[in-house]
Amino acid sequence: MKTSYFLKSMLIFFLVFGMTLPGLAGEPTDQIKQTTDKILSIITNPALKPSSKTAEREKLIRQAVDERFDWEEMARRALATHWAKRTLEERKEFVRLFADLLERTYKKKVEDYSGEKVLYEGETKDGDYATVKVKIVSKKNKDIPVEYRLKKEGNDWFVYDVSIEGVSLVNNYRTQFNSIIVQSSYENLIKRLKEKVELK
Amino acid sequence: MKKFDLELTVGLFIIAGIICLGYLSIQLGKMEIVGERGYEIYGVFSNVGGLKNGSSVEIAGVKVGRVKSVTLYNYQARVVLNLPENVKLQEDAIVSIKTKGLIGEQYVEITPGGSEKIIKPGGQIRETQSAVDLGELISKFVFGKI
Repeated sequence: MKTSYFLKSMLIFFLVFGMTLPGLAGEPTDQIKQTTDKILSIITNPALKPSSKTAEREKLIRQAVDERFDWEEMARRALATHWAKRTLEERKEFVRLFADLLERTYKKKVEDYSGEKVLYEGETKDGDYATVKVKIVSKKNKDIPVEYRLKKEGNDWFVYDVSIEGVSLVNNYRTQFNSIIVQSSYENLIKRLKEKVELK
Repeated sequence: MKKFDLELTVGLFIIAGIICLGYLSIQLGKMEIVGERGYEIYGVFSNVGGLKNGSSVEIAGVKVGRVKSVTLYNYQARVVLNLPENVKLQEDAIVSIKTKGLIGEQYVEITPGGSEKIIKPGGQIRETQSAVDLGELISKFVFGKI
């Protein structure tokens, strides 16, 4: 009788423990979902809708994105072979410009949001790396496959690359930056990035 | 004695001919018998779009290696690449499958990364980009706005 109680309590202990453990680790999909929901709630918030609140809304969105995206890792990957040659200040400047460039490029896409649904289609984990597959379904039933690539730091997962329709964002910028640097110079790339970012 | 010499020469000729033939077929068939040079790494793709064994692996448009095998693994494609020793790949290098021209053959393109960590022989390239199905993209573009 005693042993069966012991076994039962052990079973319950393992069941509870086994179920809560993954939650503590912070699953990549959950974290992506959190950020997505946060951004969607900002966009759909009627209090932030009027054009006078645009700046505030943009700031909130940027904050939510900053929490989940590892800009330095992304910028380092985009600059690739040229990253090692840059000084610390140059790297800092580049990371800032790169993040601003992405914000500018995707701001309009976010503003155009019109009730698209986000479906989570599973994740794969491999040590400190993970990919989360997401499908964005518009009202016209057109779906866009998006794949987030994440890296674990501490207890959180951070995005370092996004593939849309199977085309990697980092790879796209990597080839562009590389051809600009090889054809002219790093300074020219910074100049072009600044022009692009400042062009409001 | 004279007859023997003639037979020997003919025999030698035939042997030389066979060796030449063997060499030619190995060269043309891109086979390698005396062990492979270089090292191997692999990547897992969700779609390779008809990539074949022996397809070329390019960096900056220069052929550096070839595809050693394409196998199904967990309903995904596992592609083993053979690269020469002097071509080192960083951990954040991106391997993508591309098409030569619009309807040409598939090949593997590697864009080198900036990480200090180098992928060891037998290691995995994590950053992979599957083949983009151009037909599917066009159909999405054409039929998308209904």
